[in-house]
Amino acid sequence: MRFLLVNHIQNAHQSLRASRMRSFLTMIGVTIGVASITAILALSGGASKVVSDQVDTLGGNIAVVRPGKTTDPLSGLAQVQAERSFSTSTLTEYDLTTVAAIPHIQAVAPVMILSGVIKASSVAPNDSAIVASTPELATISHLETSSGQFLDPSVKQNTTVIGVQLSINVFGTEQSIGKTLTIRGQSFTVIGVLKRLNQPINYNGVDFDNAAIINFASGKQLNQGVSQLQQIDVQADSVAHLNQAIIDVNKSLIVNHQGETDFSVLSGVQISQPTSQLFYAIAGVSGAVAAISLLVGGIGIMNIMLVTVAERTREIGIRKALGASNRDIAWQFLIESLAISISGGLVGYILGYVVAFGITTSFLTFDPLLNWQIAVTALSVSVVIGVIFGLYPAFRAAHKDPMDSLRQYN
Amino acid sequence: MAQIPTPPVIELKNLKKRFGIGDAEHFALDGMDLTIQKGEFIAIMGPSGCGKTTLLNILGLLDRSTDGEYFLDGQDVSTIGQRRQAQIRSRQIGFIFQSFNLISRLNVIENVALPLAYKGVTRLKRLRLASDILANFHLNEREYYMPYQLSGGQMQRVAIARALVNEPSIILADEPTGNLDSRSSHIIMEELSDLHKRGNTIIMVTHNPRLTTYASRVITMIDGHIDTDTFEVFQLPDPLAKRPLGVIPEPSPKKPRRKKAATSTTPKRKQK
Repeated sequence: MRFLLVNHIQNAHQSLRASRMRSFLTMIGVTIGVASITAILALSGGASKVVSDQVDTLGGNIAVVRPGKTTDPLSGLAQVQAERSFSTSTLTEYDLTTVAAIPHIQAVAPVMILSGVIKASSVAPNDSAIVASTPELATISHLETSSGQFLDPSVKQNTTVIGVQLSINVFGTEQSIGKTLTIRGQSFTVIGVLKRLNQPINYNGVDFDNAAIINFASGKQLNQGVSQLQQIDVQADSVAHLNQAIIDVNKSLIVNHQGETDFSVLSGVQISQPTSQLFYAIAGVSGAVAAISLLVGGIGIMNIMLVTVAERTREIGIRKALGASNRDIAWQFLIESLAISISGGLVGYILGYVVAFGITTSFLTFDPLLNWQIAVTALSVSVVIGVIFGLYPAFRAAHKDPMDSLRQYN
Repeated sequence: MAQIPTPPVIELKNLKKRFGIGDAEHFALDGMDLTIQKGEFIAIMGPSGCGKTTLLNILGLLDRSTDGEYFLDGQDVSTIGQRRQAQIRSRQIGFIFQSFNLISRLNVIENVALPLAYKGVTRLKRLRLASDILANFHLNEREYYMPYQLSGGQMQRVAIARALVNEPSIILADEPTGNLDSRSSHIIMEELSDLHKRGNTIIMVTHNPRLTTYASRVITMIDGHIDTDTFEVFQLPDPLAKRPLGVIPEPSPKKPRRKKAATSTTPKRKQK
């Protein structure tokens, strides 16, 4: 290549500037493709990071037991997922006591999510959750009350701790201690209001700001006396013992379930996966859109490069007469297509983050993930597109017959 | 094997170039035998379509012959690879075209510096060399002009500067003055003649018999082969210059050797 690289880059710059509109339109295809890839990666990465960060801040000694076998989130996309709240859980109360008895396990809390209407002076929005659990939930999930107290084994049955947003929604105030609300037609007295957490996405799958937490026994009572466990939160006494605890939990639950692994024990990053399943679905769809856009963008590049080669046939002839080898000519045009795709990719990368930040600040509560892997992905995608779709035009240019090229009417 | 100290720069043996196939088959070159020594200034003349330009393109390695042999500096061209051919074009051959063939996107100095890029000269040095050679052609005030801002004569001077910037030993000119008025033609021819005096081999195709006065040897072609060929330097350029186009000097001023290509009697060389 000798000293020609710089020369080729200058040349590409010059020729792209000479036909600004055309280069710009060609770039757009790649820009949109790279922008969607960047946005997807930033958003799904951000969502997973939120949950795994939560697990980390909770001490990293948390595991959860969930009903059903957790499959690979991407393969799960292929079939329609049954809505969890309608299917009967495979976890039982007996599992709860078994897990609690395992050594090195500090605390165990059931999470039983009920559907139903919460109302007081006004009806709470539909997305408000009813959670039946035990007092340990507060220690495992670090729930704190801003006023009143959390559930307590000694308190009466029909009491509830509510999230601050729910309190505002149904009572119009954050100060709702002692007031009554009805859940599924039964009255509950508010004994505590939680501090604002601002974590709508978490490993419990419940937005505690907008939830009413009731006693496990009351929850069963509302559910015809049957427990329905969506999840069992397990806290080991230390991070070092977590792995051993998980193995023990698995062993004893398999015995409970007559050898069927119809449950899964998850820890660390795994916990966040089902939470981000929605993001995988969105990412899958937008990934397909991005791929199509990149393909179309690439074809656009190839098209324009072929036009450029045809336009510059005479120039190719002249260059060959002046001593350019086939390889020199090929590089010249390849670098030109790379210039289009890389600049499209750079603009796309920036645009992708603009979109990602736009979405998160207006709809979501987490920040998009910013890391070098995404930058490298965006860059390499655009380089690959430039090379794949630039090779053929470059090859065509290189193999033009110099004499025919010189004879071409200018 | 008689060893000749310096092989001829160019040696053609029964060179043929065919265009078209079947009914449309047509030999642009039909058995050319030609030997060119270093330092010759050759003018090739002949009617349109007699294969002059084809010959020049083959000599300049822009085209390949269909049949026959072409030795460049004693080396058989058909054995030279594509990359090496490009290198030879870059280092040994300078092209001058009738239509100038400047790259319209590039300005004057970039055009002139272009061959240096393919030779692998650094950018700064390229521009300095190009600037130097443009100064020789009195074009240093036009360095940053675009080609369309120049007159025909200036464009051709730029093209010649570009052909010479690599200091090639062989200069191939295809009707270099075909698009120019007589005054510009004169300037261009003076330049070529100057180059010849400095020892370059020049092969020029022309329609204008006046220009043959600058040449050391005139070859006329017809139907793809050599019609007449003279090794002699013309002693009296002026009377010859007034001869009408295409007419061969019949009363030869100084016994110019003449031969029909059909019964080719080119000097036989015993080297292969």
